[in-house]
Amino acid sequence: MIHALRAGACGIPFMPVGGMWGSDLVAQRPEFFQIMKSPFEGEPVVCVKALIPDYAIVHVQEADIYGNCRILGPTFQDILLTRAAKKTIITTERLVGTYRMQEEPKLTAIPHFIVEAVVELPGGAYPGICYPEYLTVDWDVYKAYQGAVKAGTVREFAGEVLKRRS
Amino acid sequence: MQEKVMSLSKAVDLIQYGMLLAVGGNAMHRNPTLFFLELATRPVENLKLCAAAIGIAGDILVATHQADTAYFGFFGLENEAGLAPGMRRAMEKDGSCRAVEGS
Repeated sequence: MIHALRAGACGIPFMPVGGMWGSDLVAQRPEFFQIMKSPFEGEPVVCVKALIPDYAIVHVQEADIYGNCRILGPTFQDILLTRAAKKTIITTERLVGTYRMQEEPKLTAIPHFIVEAVVELPGGAYPGICYPEYLTVDWDVYKAYQGAVKAGTVREFAGEVLKRRS
Repeated sequence: MQEKVMSLSKAVDLIQYGMLLAVGGNAMHRNPTLFFLELATRPVENLKLCAAAIGIAGDILVATHQADTAYFGFFGLENEAGLAPGMRRAMEKDGSCRAVEGS
């Protein structure tokens, strides 16, 4: 998956993958995995098709009004996702002044020119976790979500959660 | 630099039928859950999702059958939350979402 996104970010149609040998996934999903011969020595190599998302949607702790973002704590694959995608939509715990990016430019994880929208949305990862803003899952809400999945009422659940915030 | 601040509603309007969406965060961590809850109230369908670990935000669209394909390395919520409930129902029971698993 990482290599598929890397191929997307690099603007190339596929990328060789070092692993996957012995996995049934290669045969199960030929539209995503193919085996080709290396053009150098002729040995077989597994390749994965590029993924180019229309949008990456990323929740961050700090963004300015132009879309420059800082991620506090682990970045996971978010930097790669935003480079592979055509454009990025940001939701942020808070809007900060651009001076925050200028203080430590190398900490700007996502630059403004790949961002199309910035939404100030405190609690945007709720009922999940957003270090260091909220550190535990809201288990009551999560259990309500599990119940909604079983009952087939997730759209109604979504409406209720959003209504409670407004 | 151009100012890009907008409401949640306006940002969700950008998502159109059939788009491939990359989901930030990881499982229950810094997942853009409220954005996807808002998207779940809209009629947009045939969406595709991708991430190394899609998490609860993507699970919402799989549960509502708005996502028909998910590209992932891991699709679960970890710890007490276990596997993603919408994904399990859609892929094991309803058949409404195709799993394309990498590693």
